[in-house]
Amino acid sequence: MKRLGIPLAIVGLLLIAGCNKESKPAGQEETKAGGFPRSKTLYMGGSQWGDPNSFNPLTDWPAWPVNDKFNIMFETLLAYNTLSGKFEPLLGTLESQSADSVVVTLNPAAKWSDGQPVTSADVKFVYELGKRYKGAATAYAIDFVSDIKVSANPDKSERLTFMVNKKGRNNPLVVLDFLQAIRILPAHVFEPKLAQLKDLAEVQKLKCDSNPVVSGPYNLEAYSNEKIILKRREDYWGNAALHGGKAPAPQFIIHPIYKSNDAFAIALAQNELDATQTYIPRIWMKKNAGVLTWYDKEPYFVPGAIPTLLINSTRYPLSDKAFRRAMAFAIDYKSIKDLAVSGYSPNLKPGAIMPFGIEGGYYNDEDAQKYGAAFNAETAKKILAEAGYKSVFKPDGSLDKMLDAKGKQVPTLFVKSPAGWSDWEAIVTLAVKGMRAAGIDVREGFVDAGLYWQSQPVGDFDLEMIKPAASVTPSQPWSRLAALMSSRTWAPPGEKMNENQGRFNNPKGKGYIKAVDSLLSVIPTLTDKAALTQAYRNLNVIFMQEQPALPLCYLPEQFYQVNNKTWTNWATDANPYAPPNLPWAGAATKMLWELKPAK
Amino acid sequence: MLKQYPTLRYILHRGGWYFLTFLVAVTINFFLPRLGTSNPVDIIMGKAGSGLDTEAAREKEESYLKEFGLVQVDATGTILRGADGKPLKSSNVSQFFNYVKMCFQGDFGTSFQKYPKKVTTIIAEAVPWTLALQLPTILFGWLVGNILGALAAYRRGVFDRVFFPLALLLSAVPFFAFGMLLVYVCAIRNGWLPAMGGYAGDMVPGFNLDFIKSAGSHYILPFFSIFLILAGGQAIGMRSMGIYELGTDYIKYAKWLGIKENKILLYLFRNAMLPQLTGLALSLGGMIGGALITEMIFSYPGLGMAILSAIQGQDYPMIQGCTLLVTISVLIANFTVDILIGFLDPRVKAGQMGGN
Repeated sequence: MKRLGIPLAIVGLLLIAGCNKESKPAGQEETKAGGFPRSKTLYMGGSQWGDPNSFNPLTDWPAWPVNDKFNIMFETLLAYNTLSGKFEPLLGTLESQSADSVVVTLNPAAKWSDGQPVTSADVKFVYELGKRYKGAATAYAIDFVSDIKVSANPDKSERLTFMVNKKGRNNPLVVLDFLQAIRILPAHVFEPKLAQLKDLAEVQKLKCDSNPVVSGPYNLEAYSNEKIILKRREDYWGNAALHGGKAPAPQFIIHPIYKSNDAFAIALAQNELDATQTYIPRIWMKKNAGVLTWYDKEPYFVPGAIPTLLINSTRYPLSDKAFRRAMAFAIDYKSIKDLAVSGYSPNLKPGAIMPFGIEGGYYNDEDAQKYGAAFNAETAKKILAEAGYKSVFKPDGSLDKMLDAKGKQVPTLFVKSPAGWSDWEAIVTLAVKGMRAAGIDVREGFVDAGLYWQSQPVGDFDLEMIKPAASVTPSQPWSRLAALMSSRTWAPPGEKMNENQGRFNNPKGKGYIKAVDSLLSVIPTLTDKAALTQAYRNLNVIFMQEQPALPLCYLPEQFYQVNNKTWTNWATDANPYAPPNLPWAGAATKMLWELKPAK
Repeated sequence: MLKQYPTLRYILHRGGWYFLTFLVAVTINFFLPRLGTSNPVDIIMGKAGSGLDTEAAREKEESYLKEFGLVQVDATGTILRGADGKPLKSSNVSQFFNYVKMCFQGDFGTSFQKYPKKVTTIIAEAVPWTLALQLPTILFGWLVGNILGALAAYRRGVFDRVFFPLALLLSAVPFFAFGMLLVYVCAIRNGWLPAMGGYAGDMVPGFNLDFIKSAGSHYILPFFSIFLILAGGQAIGMRSMGIYELGTDYIKYAKWLGIKENKILLYLFRNAMLPQLTGLALSLGGMIGGALITEMIFSYPGLGMAILSAIQGQDYPMIQGCTLLVTISVLIANFTVDILIGFLDPRVKAGQMGGN
């Protein structure tokens, strides 16, 4: 027994040796350690999952916070408030909008971190990049914005008139989307690089990770494969111009890169993380650890997206409207809400428009009562029987097979969904359970994410889980309806489509519903509220009658989970001074100025 | 020619075979990821193409195909197209020769998923962590497990009665369950040690005392999560081998001769160790990719996650780079153990060299 001491001592020694070895990992030149006091640092996570690849705003997917709608390094012209549906000033202020143009005044105080003013040249640089390079991340903008006219206001500030591209997509709604999503970049920094390297692809390869020229309140301080660290800019122009001279409360923002949702949940409960947008089941269990969500009871989050089963309507029997409607009646939406998504969803109502919030105004309950499909297994069976389908059950009550009107067996349908996306797996399992119980021969088909992504644009699926147009943007709910129903780029299965991949409503096919596409193209140009509401109602009625897809529940655009142990005064339903996003996107960013250190 | 140097001949002979294996493995590494039906650019487009028009998405896709060398281009860099206007795919064979050429230049290409990061950069950042966690854990787990197993076999009695069930339990527990238990008990419940990460959240890696201390405290849980289970498994194996060896004539004879206990234990250890060595080679070889679960549970930096996401994303250059690394480490580990066994057990060497 005495001898046990020796191996244990060796292990101990080794531990120390092992630690030493670790001190030179990850290509990091910074040697600062512990320089980020907890009380001055805001830890937020969930937006960056892998090693930060690049902080170059010209590439397609740079690392946080240069990607998505994050605007704390590079800012957008306007900040969108997803709660009120209103635009708030950022680099610019919205003056007016019409079917022909959107007018924005540039904030004359706006400055880059190198002291240069933010001008119309910077805006034009970004928006017109697509005229010069097809591969630019913002290249699609020219299809929507034909020109940006610059004039001077009486106070000499620059007024930008974004002309809606009438010959292109003619879609002022998407122009509004751009204004809150496209980050303005310093032309005086990137033009010389383009001139020097002569090629956008070469400029896109620059990592831009040392002292980038930004307009936002924070700038990149350091990063490794485990975290990204931002430091407050004391000379941020917006402190005076937008926030009454106040500076953001946290001096540092650190985004840790953990490897699983669980890790974020643990860190949040242990007060190592102040806010996260990851999926944490049964969030009410974390209340004692100081964790808050937007609402303190169900549904905890503000709905922003609709996980939906897309139906491939080119395949038999999914091409049959009655069959699609029977599916919609067969799914127990309440059980999906309660069991699959921890109750994080209000009860589902029929249609593809959300019956509350900003979209609520376009929703009509009478239409839903009249045309919509809600869970009712008996109705599902009745519709199937009327359409001539016959379900054969085994003696144990489970479904054996399904026969159509001609007595032929209906092929088993599969729901394609990525394996390992656990909340989606649970949603699909419950949807399948309901449909099988009603006699519809459907099975789960969980596949590798690679196959999933590949199948979507070419329509290689029977049913597929998607989240159509998942961001809450000024163009919702139009963008969701277009993603589900637009035939603008209809192509047969096998060829790629980037919207309506279920290929509903073939313009050259039998029974083409012309109203769908004409409504989708007219809605963005409507400025009259009553006409707009009517158009949305009409479109939603067609959706309910035709059921080209099966909306399953409502989930937040982003999960919003915060811990008030280190920082307090987070926006919540009780104190809704900012929308329910982490303070790095859209109008939620202003929370940074309102957070208070906990006593 | 090398008749008078049998050892050198043995090493060269083994080395030759390993080199051949290496060449075959490199070829397989290249073609294996391409056998799958999913296409890397489709996966990238799932991310980059959202919100894009169909036409814009097609243009973007073509620019990626070109960037990653998956389509044929002419001298001016323009994509060559077939009669139907679709880009012509570059053949796997031409991609393979390009890959081999680049490998010899020490360039594993650019990662598709982490574009524009180089594969070599990603590997160089992750490997030190993987090695620092895995190498000591495996070596010491192996050593400690074998010593304890030999002791248990030789001593029996109370020691064995307590030790054996414990080792059996440890070796039977799955890695991830034990790791999660450690996190719960030592980090979440009692807060003795940090739950995850390679170092504290408020630090940037650097060569200084604070960082080393932090990395050290973050090292303990992942270390023990692997070490204990590995040692348990090794101990069980060694104990059985030891018990078998104890029944052999040479041990009985040595005991009868009155040779010291420690000396007998050493004989026993040396003989029982041979099969265990092969196990060591396997663990060392699998080290590079084997850390995935530990890395996920502890959010520990390393190569495991990089390999997983590369495979999920069909990131060919990254998969090739990683599998090349795994291949090399498996071969080196096996080669080393081969040579070692040759020295420890002359019968093996003689047998391999044709029995002369």
